[in-house]
This record gives sequence, C-alpha cells and structure tokens, in this order.
Amino acid sequence: MLALMRYVRLILALARYGLARELAFRGNFLAKIFVEVLWLFILLIFYRTIFTQTSVVADWSESEYLFFVGCYFALEGLIETLFLSNCSEFSELVRSGDLDFFLIRPIDEQFLITCRAIDWSTAPNVLMGLGVMVTALVQLDQPIGIVQVALFLLLFVSGLLLAYSFLVMLTSTAVWFVRNQSLLEMWWLFTSLMRYPKEIFTGPLGGPIYWFFTFLVPVMLVINVPARTMVKVFEPWFAVYIVMATAIMLWVSRRVFRFALNSYRSASS
Amino acid sequence: MNLPLSKYWRIFRVSLIERMVYRGDFLLGTLFRFLPMVTTILLWHAIYAGSGKTELGSTAQYNLDQMVSYLLLVHISRMFSSMPGLAGGIARSIRDGSLKKYLLQPIDMLGYLLTYRLAHKTAYIVTAALPYGILFFLCSGYFHLGHLDAVTVLAYIVSLLLAFVLGFYFESCIGCLGFWILEVTSLLYVVNTLNFFVSGHMFPLDLLSPFWATLLKSLPFSYLAYFPAAVFLGQVRGEALIWGLAVEVAWCVTFFILSRTLYRIGLHRYSAFGG
Repeated sequence: MLALMRYVRLILALARYGLARELAFRGNFLAKIFVEVLWLFILLIFYRTIFTQTSVVADWSESEYLFFVGCYFALEGLIETLFLSNCSEFSELVRSGDLDFFLIRPIDEQFLITCRAIDWSTAPNVLMGLGVMVTALVQLDQPIGIVQVALFLLLFVSGLLLAYSFLVMLTSTAVWFVRNQSLLEMWWLFTSLMRYPKEIFTGPLGGPIYWFFTFLVPVMLVINVPARTMVKVFEPWFAVYIVMATAIMLWVSRRVFRFALNSYRSASS
Repeated sequence: MNLPLSKYWRIFRVSLIERMVYRGDFLLGTLFRFLPMVTTILLWHAIYAGSGKTELGSTAQYNLDQMVSYLLLVHISRMFSSMPGLAGGIARSIRDGSLKKYLLQPIDMLGYLLTYRLAHKTAYIVTAALPYGILFFLCSGYFHLGHLDAVTVLAYIVSLLLAFVLGFYFESCIGCLGFWILEVTSLLYVVNTLNFFVSGHMFPLDLLSPFWATLLKSLPFSYLAYFPAAVFLGQVRGEALIWGLAVEVAWCVTFFILSRTLYRIGLHRYSAFGG
C-alpha cells in the first residue's frame, strides 16, 4: 500500500511538472490544443457528410456512430496524454545510451519509461470525447442504467490497458531496431484498426482481418466492446474476453519489456 | 554545362544520392502507410452498403469503384504536392542564422530548395513505384480506365506537376513567415490539419453541399489533392478542365510571387543570429 501511494505521489508530481513545463510555452500549448479541437471538428464534419448520404454505416446509426467516435477520441486522448510521447522517446534513449540513467533509479523501469511525462496538450481530447459521447446519448434518448454505465467504465479501462500493453510491446522493439519512426507508424496502423466498428470488417479481405485482430491480436476490441455495451448490446462473452485478454496482454507486455531491457547494451561510454 | 543551371544540376544529383541511402527504411514505411488504406476501403464499402445507393455525391456522383479509386489517387496527388519539412526548415534557417550561407554564396535559397526538393521527389517517386505498383495492382478491380484518352492523361500529368509547384511555393510562403514570427511549427500544425480536410484528402469535395464544394474547390488547397484525382477519374472535363488548369497555374504564379516577395522583404528584417 505504501509503495502504491509512493507511485501515486510520483504521478501527481510528474503531472504538476509537466503542466508547468507546458505553460512555460503558452502559445505553443494553446496551438496544440487548437489543432486537437480542429481535428475533432474535421472528424465530426466527415461523419456528418457521410450520414447525409446514408442513414446507417455497418448497422450503426448516426448517433450510435457519434458515440463510437467520442469513445475513440477519449481513449486515444488518454493514451496520447499518458503514454505515447514517453514511448516514442524510448528509441532515442536506447540510441543515445541515456536509458542508463533511467535504469539506475530506485523505481520500476516500465513505470518511469512509459509514464514519466504527461502530455497536457492532448488531455482536453478526453473531455471533448466525453462531450461527444454525452451528445450522442442525448440524441439517442434511450434509458441508461447504472449497471450499463459501470460496465462501460470497466470495459473502457480494460480497453485502455489493452491498448497500453500493445504500446509497451511495440516500444520494447526499439531495443533491437533502434528506430523512432517505426513505433509511431505501427501505432498509427493499430489505431486505424481500433477506430472503426468491427462490422465493417467483412468479405474476403475484411473477414480475415477481423478474426486476426479480434482473436489473435485483440486490438479491434479496444473501442468496439465498450461502445457496443453502451449504445447497442452488451455481449457478455466479448466482455469476459476483453478483460481476460487485457490481463494476459499486460502480463505478456511486462515480460517482453523486461526481456528487451535484458537485451539492452548501453551505448554510452 | 558551365551555365548557372549546372550548379542546380549538381545539387539535384547530390540530393538524389543522399535520399537513396535509406531506401530500405523508406520501403517499409510506405508499406505501413498502406495498411490503413485497407480499413478506409472497408469503411466505404460499409457506407455504400448502408446507403443502398450505387452513387453518392452532390456536385458530382461517385460509385464505389470511383470512390476507392479516388482515395488511392489522392495519395499520388499528395506524393507530388506534400513538402514535409520545407516550411519548418526555412524557419529554422532564419531562426538559427544558417540562412546566411545562402546570402554569402552565389545561390538563391528558394532555387536551391526547389532543386533539392525536386531530387527528393524524384527519389521518392522512383522508390515508391514498387509499393504503389503493388497496391494499385491489388486494387486494379476498382479502376475503370475506359474513359481515359490522351487529353485526360496529359491533363492529369500537368495537374500533378503543377501540384508540386503549388505545394512548394505554398510551403515556402509559410516558411518565409519565419522572418516575422520565428517559430512557424504551431501555424504549420494548424495549416496541415486543415489542409487534410479542405484539400479533399479525406473524401471527394463533391460530397459536400454545393456551396461548400464550390467554395473549397476554388481554393488553392483543392489543387494539392482533389483536382488531379478528379481529372484522372474524368470528373473534370472539357471547358471545366481547361478552366481548372488555368486556375491552378494562376495559384502557382500567385504563390511564386508571394514567396519571392516575402523572402525579399524578410531579408531586410533578417539579423543573422548564430556563429
């Protein structure tokens, strides 16, 4: 318990430091937030334009799809705020040998490397995503129970941790490849599988993609399961599956990360 | 070749060799970039299936095959018109003082950067020919080339070359703003994000309401992605094609003059910081 409190205090201290650092360059900070707002705005215009041409996309109505988009925006925002910038800097730490300074500190290496800085410029995405979800729910005008909300939150957190475990594994590969670019490109590929309803993956091309990225590398579940639980149907089998997959993938990613650190050979003198 | 042009030919050759060093990384990166295209194609399949219609659009109609072809063709448009690092590079030269190397040598900065970019684009297009060739071969079922005649092909090539010129001088203008605002990165973020939508990279501008479609098509951004793809698909023909190309030339000339003017005025403000 004491150790846990220590980590909570550390996160708060790092968050305060990150915010102070961002606010030192207020203009840049505001511009970054403006770009995120603009991006959401563009995404909403895109789907509004689509839904002027059709009433459903893969069995999702406009309001349901809006909820899906909000859910994606909030979850992606959390990943970008908490982990992405830290993970993308990892290969540079390996290349320069600065990773040594992280390994000698009396704290868990995975925590320090993946959670050390909070990117506050993407934090408003979480609130914007929440706003889109609430708007969609108001449009849908369906009764929502406490159990449904609790299940959604559980599955949302599960999806976040599942996405984090994939990010950790991708980050770990930097020890062997020492290349910065590939991580962000692979992550871009992963998010392109997360951001659409699973029903679009049909046919001779989509079918195999669906099976592979649902049952072997379950990245497609990250947004689909919580969003479906809230606005379509609760599928107990998928809910149990995502929670179990999260637990297994967190364990696997931890092992992969430690294995990668064992393979690390310092580059500094 | 002892003419002034020979120095630009040498810059072209050196830049081309430099670019080809990392061809392995480049091929891998290009392949990764294609995979999200698959999900986009599947999304549009779902949109057409959901609508129950064979054609979608307001100012022009696109069937599913044309839509997928369009989304593939905008990648070709952007291959010519995107200028990663150009504006940021110019602004950095202004900020850290390295711009003075252009002032001390008998070389024009915008001329040098144009040649350098031309070499990079040549290398990019040559290296990308293989992965793009595979992608277009795999998606060949979506392409119907019956409407293609010599005029359309010629107009398509001209529109792509003009897209390169327009993209270069547009980014140069943003870079030259660095004489006044030093750090253009934030501005560049905003412009690039907006450009992704207003250039027609996400979907054909013809899907928007007639007012917005007409407005966005008249802006320079549409010539960076939408216009060449629409020309190839035969959506712009006859008088509209001639008019479209004329407007594209006019935008190129406008941004050429604007970038040269901004550079000339900016140099008067320049203080050459750095050692």
